[in-house]
Amino acid sequence: MATWMSDEGLGARESISEAHLLVTELYNPANQRDPARINEIQTRLQQLQKTENAWAIADSLLQSEHSAHHRFMGALTFTVKINVSWNEINQNSAAEVMQHLINRFVALVTNGEQAMVVRKLASSLVAIFKHPTTPWKQAIWQLAASLVHGGYVSEEQAQAVDFQERILPALSKSGSGALLFFSISLAEEALRLDSEPLDGAGDTSAIQRAIHNIKDGLLLVQFVLEEIKQHTKAAGDDAVDVALAAEAMNSWKTWLGVHGNRQRSSAEDVNTLAVRCGQTVIETLRVPSLSESAAAILTQAFESRRWAFDNNSLWLISEILADSIVTVHIAAVRSGEAGAESMSFVDLLIAYVSHLHLDVFSDPMTPQNSAIITLVHGIFKTPGYASIDDLGTPRVLEFWNDIAESLPDQLEEGSPRYELVKSHLAEVVLGLSNKLLYPKSEDLEDWGEEERSEFGAFRHEACDYLLSAYPVLGVDLVTVFQRSATSHLEARDWRNFETAMFCIAQLSEAVDENGHADQCLDAIFGSDAFARLCAGGDTGIPLKARQTLVDSFGKYESYFERHSSLLPGVLNILFESLNFELCAQAASRSILTLSKSCARVLTSDLPAFLDQLDQFRSKPTATVSTMPKVLEGIATIIQSLPSDQEKVQTLERILSFFVQEANTAREEVTGPAHESGRLRGHLVLSCIASIGKGLRSESEVIDVELSKEGNPYPPSFWNSGPGAEAQRLIMEAMRLLIVGFPVDSSIIEAACDILKAGYTERAGLFVFPPSMTVDFIKSFPLGISGTDVIMATASSFLASHARHAMNIRSEAEALIDHVAQLFSSMLQNPDVYDPETANAGIDFLARLLPKYYPILFTPIKSTLSAESSPLAVLLHFTLHALTRPEPLPLRSASAFWVALIDLRGSSTEEMNILESVHQEFIPRLCYTIIQQIAGRCARSDLVSLTDVLRRTIFKKMALARPALKAALDSLNAQVTDANGQQVPLLSAQDKSRFLDSLAIARGGHKPSLDLVRSFWLKCRGMNFDYAQ
Amino acid sequence: MSLCQNRLQEERKQWRRDHPFGFVAKPKRAPQGGLDLKNWECAIPGKANTLWEGGLFKIDLIFPDEYPTKPPKCKFTPPLFHPNVYPSGTVCLSILNEEEGWRPAITIKQLLLGIQDLLDDPNPESPAQADAYNLFKKDRPAYERKVRIAVKENQPN
Repeated sequence: MATWMSDEGLGARESISEAHLLVTELYNPANQRDPARINEIQTRLQQLQKTENAWAIADSLLQSEHSAHHRFMGALTFTVKINVSWNEINQNSAAEVMQHLINRFVALVTNGEQAMVVRKLASSLVAIFKHPTTPWKQAIWQLAASLVHGGYVSEEQAQAVDFQERILPALSKSGSGALLFFSISLAEEALRLDSEPLDGAGDTSAIQRAIHNIKDGLLLVQFVLEEIKQHTKAAGDDAVDVALAAEAMNSWKTWLGVHGNRQRSSAEDVNTLAVRCGQTVIETLRVPSLSESAAAILTQAFESRRWAFDNNSLWLISEILADSIVTVHIAAVRSGEAGAESMSFVDLLIAYVSHLHLDVFSDPMTPQNSAIITLVHGIFKTPGYASIDDLGTPRVLEFWNDIAESLPDQLEEGSPRYELVKSHLAEVVLGLSNKLLYPKSEDLEDWGEEERSEFGAFRHEACDYLLSAYPVLGVDLVTVFQRSATSHLEARDWRNFETAMFCIAQLSEAVDENGHADQCLDAIFGSDAFARLCAGGDTGIPLKARQTLVDSFGKYESYFERHSSLLPGVLNILFESLNFELCAQAASRSILTLSKSCARVLTSDLPAFLDQLDQFRSKPTATVSTMPKVLEGIATIIQSLPSDQEKVQTLERILSFFVQEANTAREEVTGPAHESGRLRGHLVLSCIASIGKGLRSESEVIDVELSKEGNPYPPSFWNSGPGAEAQRLIMEAMRLLIVGFPVDSSIIEAACDILKAGYTERAGLFVFPPSMTVDFIKSFPLGISGTDVIMATASSFLASHARHAMNIRSEAEALIDHVAQLFSSMLQNPDVYDPETANAGIDFLARLLPKYYPILFTPIKSTLSAESSPLAVLLHFTLHALTRPEPLPLRSASAFWVALIDLRGSSTEEMNILESVHQEFIPRLCYTIIQQIAGRCARSDLVSLTDVLRRTIFKKMALARPALKAALDSLNAQVTDANGQQVPLLSAQDKSRFLDSLAIARGGHKPSLDLVRSFWLKCRGMNFDYAQ
Repeated sequence: MSLCQNRLQEERKQWRRDHPFGFVAKPKRAPQGGLDLKNWECAIPGKANTLWEGGLFKIDLIFPDEYPTKPPKCKFTPPLFHPNVYPSGTVCLSILNEEEGWRPAITIKQLLLGIQDLLDDPNPESPAQADAYNLFKKDRPAYERKVRIAVKENQPN
């Protein structure tokens, strides 16, 4: 015995005894209910496994006659010790450990050791094999020779005896089993090493040495399986060693992995052997006790090791799938009599046909493949719901989907094979029909949320198939479902009707816009049965069918636009459906889109729709998600009425209701129903805003010439004629829900939408006096949530008057002054700095610049103190925003300065004003930017800041260059150099090189940004680089 | 077939074989019915036990010719109320940025799961739209109300 394994010395002997005792304790039944004790024992054992006595402990435990647990722990201790002493093991000790372990391995196997111990010791052997100094190559061969010999045989001696012809046949049954354990363990380790990044020569060497064993590993598999086959022939299925066979098949799969990853192109003999082994695995499908494991292994090999099957393999497997015990298993799935294990055979079936893909449809098809495809179709007949009780159907569908997608690109249309596949695709449609039936309510009751979603997902997968098959099957595909829909609608068989409509709805993607299936749709929607459904009343249509029908209306918008005579009936169903929570969303969406596209046709039905609206508005489904859409739709129809007089009557009827509701909301918010009041207020304003959107005239174009000068709010039908009452009602609702109403961002947003609704029009119900917008905007205090929406409204307001900016000079001045006041407050009192207001205000300024700069740059009436002009405050604030950490104000401020530098005056006077602004502020701007990009700003801000910098350099080089130089000179950060001396972070050369490079880049986006990034990194420290 | 097309075919195959529950991802169909592999329509469910639960958010993935060297553009359609989604609907996420976290090995499945994570865990360092960002920072109840509306308007069919 080697000295390192000696049990001499008191310490070693004590440790060994302790370890034996600990293992006995570990498995003592009395301790099993005491996790603390178990934990304590394990901790101590782990300590011992890492000591210098661990070799001796391992060896002693391995030889223990006390129990297999002791020997198992001995093997485990060897593995742990090899890993712990990895760096101390040298070539000699590695060889010694290997020899010792082989001897122990042989002895254990000879003594009929339990599998768990042998397997564990096989892992210890692999652990030492892996060590880079181990001179072990053909490990399987050598271990086999040692097993046959009854003790260690050197690699050289082993190689002198033929592995396949002499060693393998001489192995005992327990010997071949033990060798398989080692073989798998080695292959798995090789796969693991192969998938991990290489971190040294050791790993490479282990993989290379493992690769030398692929052939022997496969020969062993072949030998074991052949032996089992022969034995089965002689002694029958009962005598099969199932575990050994499973081990062999698993070993085949694992060695395929090792071979496939590295060696396949350079080892033809191993390729052939791997394929031959696969054929042996295929043959085991016929052995009843092995067929399931074989099916599972072959399925995995089909998925990841396609090369392991040649034509003979495929022929062999087709024979078995078409007519064998496997066929019987698959048929049992179809009849619902199979156990869970039969799914392995269905998986194999699908793996096989997926492997052949379109080749399965040869011309003519082989009898086996014909039978196999019949089996595949048969899976659709499996009882139960797909994805829930029937797991085969979704897998089969996946195959057909793939075939349908590939067919048009891979086979010539009209060729016999194309037609053959086409006929099968059609058969799939028929097979699927029953599978798509929505569950009966009694079945649905037992389903959880997950099962419902699973089934829903299957239905969508099935429809994905229909869309894939449409290019091949054409309108005939729609006809199948149309016939089903019409007959079931007539018979009021709602479940089948729902399925047919579901499929038709999903096919809309292929046929709605091009009208290819219009005749089919006419047959459904033009039928008497559909007319009865439209008439409403007690049709008895269940909720699910109604929901699907409503969805289908939404999906066939183009069809209904082409068939507007059907619309009144369809809208009737949609309005009725608003009462059901499941349908309300989809129904409101469809009401909106259909009303929009066919408004003129629907004007005569307006009274009926208004009645339905009256009923709907009190229902619980009338929410902010549904009601505004319905109102927008109705308003679109109102807009199509021929005269304003007709419009105003209807609008007053609707708006009066909302004023009442606004009053109710106002009462509620002051009491306990506060939340209800807030929601009601939001709903009222959202609905009014939607009416505004619906009334927006798409054809009206603002007449620029007429509105160039004069009154921005000329008298009209709507503000001083018969429409004035309707406008007053809107203003009243706004007043009730804004003035003295709790400030709320959603209410602000809806109110802004009301204001914006009329900005694109010259005259109309929603064209309000300009002062209304200004007063609204000025009414909100600094810092409220929703400021961005308010200021965006201010921008839209100015944009709507941009062509006659001077007509609203006083309103524009008021808004600019308002922003200046907000900014001034934030500058004076940093505690109230509000990034939202900063961003919204600067964004407002940037947007007004192009059209309103003459107003911005001339002195305006201001409420600010005399010493600070609004312009100076605004510009100062935008510079300040560039220095703050909040990203959005910084981005807006950058955009503002880019716009300001780009600005060109249209007159000498304007140019002079601009020039003086540039003269005063560009040096300050340059200083701010340089300070920021010198490491102060966040990396993500560099893009915005560089935009301003490059624009300044490109457009204002003469002003910018000295300003940038001065700013760079002012940078004086110090760092400690290698000698411990404080030196400037940036040398004078660094600074001038940076400036020169920027000038050379001449404002180019990428070169400027690259320069600024490098500069920022240098100042901030390289550890901020993404690559670090 | 180009690298881009090959990779997308493989992604399609992998997705069919195994995809996270409730997600949708498939190439769009050209008018003639063929697949446009560089343009996928996807849907991301809101995570369970978050504000976003119950919603199914449609998103387009547009793959450049240089994919997978360059990342796809991911765009919610319609644009989504979320601090890290630009007003155009484009998602702002480091793993979608060529200069930050994009790696060619990232799969469509990982991308969509990453975006699903982002829904309930916005990154306030990279705001992409002011509306959602401001409410998220300043008025969480109002933010949550708007998310709930977004969830309601994006229900699965």
